[in-house]
Amino acid sequence: MLKLLCTKFARKDYNIVGVTAQKTMRLLPASGRRATQKVVVGDQDGVITCFGIKKGEAVPVFKTLPGQKIARLELGGALNTPQEKIFVATGSEVKGFTKRGKQFLSFETNLTESIKAMHISGADLFLCASYIYNHYCDCKDQHYYLSGDKINDVLCLPVEKVNCITPVLACQDRVLRVLQGSDLLYEVEVSGPPTVLALNNGNGGDSGEEIVFGTSDGKVGLVQITGSSPVHKWEIGNEKKRGGILCIDSFDIVGDGVKELLIGRDDGMLEVYNFESADDPVLLSDHALSESIASIQGGCVGKDGYDEILACTYSGWLTGLTTEPIHREGGSGEELKLSQEMQSKISSLRSELESLQIKVLQEREKYQQASQSSTAMSSVPAFSVNDKFTLNKDDASYSLILEVQTAIDNVLVQSDVPIDLLDVDKNSAVVSFSSCDSEPNSNFVLATYRCQANTTRLELKVRSIEGQYGTLQAYVTPRIQPKTCQVHQYQIKPLSLHQRTHSIDHDRPMNTLMLKGQFSFAEIHSWVVFCLPEVPEKTPAGESITFYFQNTFLGTQLESTYRKGEGLFKSDNISTISILKDVLSKEATKRKINLNISYDINEDSVRYTLKLIHPKLEYQQLLAKKVHLIDALKELQVHEGNVDFLLPKYRSILEESDQLLEEYKKQPAHLERLYGMITDLFIDKFKFKGTNVKTKVPLLLEILDGCDQDGLIAFFEAAA
Amino acid sequence: MLVPVFTLKLNYKILPRMVALGRFDGTHPCLAAATQAGKVTAASPGAAAGARAAPHSDISLLNINQGITCLTSGVLDPQLGYDSLLVGTQTNLLAYDVHNNSDLFYREVSDGANAIVLGTLGDISSPLAIIGGNCALQGFDSEGNDLFWTVTGDNVRSLALCDFDGDGKNELLVGSEDFDIRVFKEDEIVAEMSETETITALSPMYGSRFGYALSNGTVGVYDKTARYWRIKSKNHAMSIHAFDLNSDGVCELITGWSNGKVDARSDRTGEVIFKDNFASSIAGLVEGDYRMDGNTQLICCSVDGEVRGYLPGGQEMKGNLMDSSVEQDLIRELSQKKQNLLLELRNYEENAKAELNTQLKEADGQRGVIPANTQLQTALSVNLGSDSQSAHVELCISTTNDTIIRAVLIFAEGIFEGESHVVHPSLQNLSSCVRVPLTPPKDVPVDLHIKAIVGYRNSTQFHVFELTRQLPRFSMYALSGPDLATEPLSYVNCTMNERAQRIVMWLNQSFLLPEDAELQSAPFQVCFTSLRNAGQLCIKIKPGGEISISTDDIDLAGDIIQSMASFLAIEDLQVEADFPAYFEELRKVLVKVDERHAVNQRLTADMAEHSNVIRSVLVQAEDARLLGDMQNMKKRYIELYDLNRDLINQYKIRCNNHTELLNNLKAVNQAIQRAGRLRVGKPKTQVITACRDAIRSNNFNMLFRIMRVGTASS
Repeated sequence: MLKLLCTKFARKDYNIVGVTAQKTMRLLPASGRRATQKVVVGDQDGVITCFGIKKGEAVPVFKTLPGQKIARLELGGALNTPQEKIFVATGSEVKGFTKRGKQFLSFETNLTESIKAMHISGADLFLCASYIYNHYCDCKDQHYYLSGDKINDVLCLPVEKVNCITPVLACQDRVLRVLQGSDLLYEVEVSGPPTVLALNNGNGGDSGEEIVFGTSDGKVGLVQITGSSPVHKWEIGNEKKRGGILCIDSFDIVGDGVKELLIGRDDGMLEVYNFESADDPVLLSDHALSESIASIQGGCVGKDGYDEILACTYSGWLTGLTTEPIHREGGSGEELKLSQEMQSKISSLRSELESLQIKVLQEREKYQQASQSSTAMSSVPAFSVNDKFTLNKDDASYSLILEVQTAIDNVLVQSDVPIDLLDVDKNSAVVSFSSCDSEPNSNFVLATYRCQANTTRLELKVRSIEGQYGTLQAYVTPRIQPKTCQVHQYQIKPLSLHQRTHSIDHDRPMNTLMLKGQFSFAEIHSWVVFCLPEVPEKTPAGESITFYFQNTFLGTQLESTYRKGEGLFKSDNISTISILKDVLSKEATKRKINLNISYDINEDSVRYTLKLIHPKLEYQQLLAKKVHLIDALKELQVHEGNVDFLLPKYRSILEESDQLLEEYKKQPAHLERLYGMITDLFIDKFKFKGTNVKTKVPLLLEILDGCDQDGLIAFFEAAA
Repeated sequence: MLVPVFTLKLNYKILPRMVALGRFDGTHPCLAAATQAGKVTAASPGAAAGARAAPHSDISLLNINQGITCLTSGVLDPQLGYDSLLVGTQTNLLAYDVHNNSDLFYREVSDGANAIVLGTLGDISSPLAIIGGNCALQGFDSEGNDLFWTVTGDNVRSLALCDFDGDGKNELLVGSEDFDIRVFKEDEIVAEMSETETITALSPMYGSRFGYALSNGTVGVYDKTARYWRIKSKNHAMSIHAFDLNSDGVCELITGWSNGKVDARSDRTGEVIFKDNFASSIAGLVEGDYRMDGNTQLICCSVDGEVRGYLPGGQEMKGNLMDSSVEQDLIRELSQKKQNLLLELRNYEENAKAELNTQLKEADGQRGVIPANTQLQTALSVNLGSDSQSAHVELCISTTNDTIIRAVLIFAEGIFEGESHVVHPSLQNLSSCVRVPLTPPKDVPVDLHIKAIVGYRNSTQFHVFELTRQLPRFSMYALSGPDLATEPLSYVNCTMNERAQRIVMWLNQSFLLPEDAELQSAPFQVCFTSLRNAGQLCIKIKPGGEISISTDDIDLAGDIIQSMASFLAIEDLQVEADFPAYFEELRKVLVKVDERHAVNQRLTADMAEHSNVIRSVLVQAEDARLLGDMQNMKKRYIELYDLNRDLINQYKIRCNNHTELLNNLKAVNQAIQRAGRLRVGKPKTQVITACRDAIRSNNFNMLFRIMRVGTASS
């Protein structure tokens, strides 16, 4: 019989637990005659909840007592047996539970930091704290590795297939580190900071060497980790500008015999990819949940015979997307039963709510009474805020994502540097910009975001200007009594638009900045951390270090190499060097360190950079012109009834008008930003020569409007 | 889930708010919409109407050749038996018989037509096309006679007809740019509701209930003068319409948004019962039987010409028009509520635990532990300003102990640029007291919703104190001693049979007095200075209930009269008023209006002359071309080019002249409105009508007399 391909899922909310971290929910393997699987989830209150679904209702199997927050939850067991032992990582401890909830293991590791990532394979336990990787076998320390940047996830290739232990670390500096014992085997460069790893197909593919990774900028890729070098198989880009990847699973939800790839993102998008054509994944369906998806797994939970995707969100909602149709045509008896289940669930919830309400009222009164007392203190526990502040490569702007476990009432954004706050379409919050007093309170931006009911997630876009640095603060007030507010700070760094990259083009004409003085390696590293984003806070191991960066807006590059007493910075962009020089000397003066700064300015670099920028400038100016014409052309079209009389050039503008407008809308103020950066380049070029050319800026702007590359270069060279 | 019963794509843009559905031949429904380049398109479903598929459309174009500002359709002449199309522009109103391709009338309307509504008003028997322009309202019957005229406070942006007082006759609702919704029972204002932004749309729902939309993204529902609910979105409501989408016998408020969303909200609660999305901003919402199958559809049009029709949901949908099941949502909502309560409970538990060790530690400060008896105090006062700061109302917020105020958020409508104002002192300026200067631009009472973020200097978590204070209506006036030298020449005198105590109560409520005024017996007087322009205001209470208000600001005088009248529940009030300076200005404006009219006529004559010349030059040029006389042809064309340039220049002059004229006319209309506002009830209506007559007869002296004493006859 032909099985119908089903891509339409019905959503079912099963249960809610506390706030959950990434990868903390799993489905236990089905046991006995029952085909439905039990769900086990660990939350940040330290509670492990295990439940099954009976008649649409969550029936608890066991629940542990609160404790330290649970960072990871994995299933394990002896190799080649059902993996049904539950392991959780909390603090620096790993605990093991049977599927009935009996604790059989409590392993206090020797890690000084709390565990961030965990992988279990038979008797092997792989743990990662921020920078440290540790491998234990039967709870005995085996191997150790110190990573150059933060470790986000860890995985081990299936031992039964590869025949040796090959751990893979997903590190923040855009590499996967493949280890052998305590040593680095090789690094796999990937396009974004990897946040999650999974075995392809759940077993590493035929070779057992295939792993799927997801990045914080929303890309997914497959790499084969062979014994000597990585082989990149495919990568899914992020054209739709969706959120970062938090969890990946493989499951045959469609029932076509091939496992689909299930992906959960931090903007609440749940995606299903299949591999029907060739080996490249194709998006089969997607579903939007309202908050970030921390864990995902396919299985059979709600009803025997119907597969579903179970997702666990940040605030602890366990939501199933089931292939079981909710409203079936005909079969009214079934539907009636269904609604009866619902009704009983609703009435039990209501009575629960009522008793809670009474209790809360009593407590509220007590709290109010306490305010009469002169000795009493009023404290409110911290609520958890899930935040992310990242630079988007595509439009060279930062996105700030704030997510709270309960609905947000309002968010106040304050900045002591000039920045632009841009609207994000999917936000429903009402924005209001307040007037600011830069003197004496150094406020450059004061904006309130008043959220609509039930908003738990807020996304903002921030556009910064390089060279202007400071702090952005967000005061988050959730809708919960007693009202409290938490402040979160984000640094806007001097070279805020730079992003780490794996390699740079060494043939470009470069300007160099050389620092010499009595400073330690840690000191100069802290200055670099202060200036540039995406640099690990920990001082790197070794005597010297080199980082490569790329300016996400202009495409210019920066190489920084430094050691104790010496720092060398190379860039094809004079403005970058100029900003570095200013900030570094300021920082050194603050610490009373005498710096010997020397620089070498390469005249060719200006010409090179201008040539790099010019096509962008030209394109933007043309786009602006075209967009300007659209309305007038449309009017002509209506007036004349057709467009045959128009020149092909104008006809094509009309035909492409939708795309043009779309593109123009996507990058507001792009042209202004380009103008600003070219002006900076102009001023900086002459600043190094010791001349002030601010008076010539209007002239420069005139030339920019003319958009002639040679004229522009000539102006740069002539003016002095 | 409710899905469109038809969709169709019109191949042109539709201007926002300019969509109407009419049966211009008496049977076939036709969708009329204004598009670019001053054209109106009419799309009617063709022979295939009624099919499940998109109705095939026949589209015809009507040239207006002027920017269209409003559009509607309906029965204007009941004798015709079919609908007429009405098109308003900045200068004209056209009533058009689409079926016969003829004009019913074409009237010049000097105040412009920003909004239009068609229907019966009050006791006027024939249907009226009522247009709202610059401060003026005008109603025309099918022959173009204006049977209705009155003025209102500012530019009219929206109109609706609704049986506001339940007497079976329609009242006119007028939304204008001064944020007011006014209800006219014919030409008498029976109610006035102050909103927080320009009212962009009004829609009657049923009975005395009506929906409204503001330019800041607010939509809501009023029942008489009481607001039922409102919601605010960051998008703008482009069009609102009342339609019973879930077949429960009560209309829902359908809103079309600028981001392409359409939603239907319950008239009672504002709860969304249905929503759909378009690719571009919504242009208009209308209803009608477009498929001609006997069912009325809700028809939504987007600015890109996408049209979707929805049939009301039937019984089998049980009012459930949305995608997911109601039960699922309810369970989710209840679980969320439970979770929130549990969280709150945990908050109290933790708090109780923390209370056990009462010693305040450094780390606690960071966690946001503050003494439980911390209170937030607020005080409003008048600050006369200094050299560096202009005079303002000062809101002082302070805590009762050593805790500091990290930031203050004030949400209030109409007094800040956005909806909120934030005070965020830098780290070194933190203290337990924050002073917020406020300068409300208008004399309206404002609710200040204050959220103060309180904690310690190094806290990362703070307590939020929320409270609401009302800013009195006349807070921008500071009490001052009587100053004879600058006492205003202008005054309003009236007699109110009220005890002085009641007036003192009104004073205490409406002004920010340093201390509540003592009970005084008449006669007494109080003087104020405006913080905006230092103008004087004196209120004298004489024995016998005679009250004299002296101020040079006629608006302020009107506001005070209206405020007192509503506080003291006075229904009719006649006054005697004199505003010499203002009247003198008005006289100048009136003279200017005449001048502008003259200039306009001259320019029109010039233009006609020019077009004659153009015709002849063009003929000459073409003749020259046919004769092969290239030199002559070139010369003629150069002449033509010059003429064209002249015409463009003249056009610009005409435009300027017109704008000037409009501004002056607006000033005149405003003056009449202001004169009206000095009175209450019947005398108010009388003054407005009398002023209109005086202007019609061009009798300026009469006009000023009416403004002074309230009637034409002495």
